[in-house]
Amino acid sequence: MAAPLPFSESELRLLRVLLQRKVRFMVVGLSAATLQGAPVVTQDVDLWFENLGELKISQALQEVGAAYVPPSNLNPPMLAGAGAELFDIVVRMDGLGTFAEEIKNCVEISLGRQKLKVLSLERILASKMAANRAKDKLTIPVLQDALAATRTAKRRLKHK
Amino acid sequence: MKSRVQPIDAAQARRWARRLSAQVGKVLTAHPHANADNVRHTLILLELPPLERLQRSLIRGRATAIFRK
Repeated sequence: MAAPLPFSESELRLLRVLLQRKVRFMVVGLSAATLQGAPVVTQDVDLWFENLGELKISQALQEVGAAYVPPSNLNPPMLAGAGAELFDIVVRMDGLGTFAEEIKNCVEISLGRQKLKVLSLERILASKMAANRAKDKLTIPVLQDALAATRTAKRRLKHK
Repeated sequence: MKSRVQPIDAAQARRWARRLSAQVGKVLTAHPHANADNVRHTLILLELPPLERLQRSLIRGRATAIFRK
């Protein structure tokens, strides 16, 4: 079966192996926002892991020929190898609770038979507002408008 | 790529545009400070499957990065 958009076969395999091994992670950042309809652009997919030291993660990465590269002076923690280039590791989310608290605020996106946890648009906005970097300031109004549109669209569907 | 937002003929396209315009109006009534373009683009994207939304975003993000170089 061909890989569903927008992932390559190896990227999809990496996500599937992580899900099969029950690694606790979620998609965050602008890629999570765009999955929920926000009209923003991004170059990568940010993944927030509950525990990067977990053995299941290294086993999953090994299975697909990728590896976790711990942070060094110049580089943040990253994934390297087959299918890992698209994904960035997030170690901290400004303005949010713990991973365990925030996973309750996730929506699920189907990835074939599996479900990918994606941080809700509300919580992405909260994080961007807390971080308030120059690049966040550009996206905050777009995320606010997207949230207004999605809420109205959801209400409309509920009344149908 | 098959997209649910692409109308088949001109009449359908006009109906779709009218419906979209009405939806944008409703959002702006409830949120007067929202930007109409952002709202319209969101409503269009909501008609697509989530993974297709991400694909579009990644394509545009990479294109922007190329032009910046």
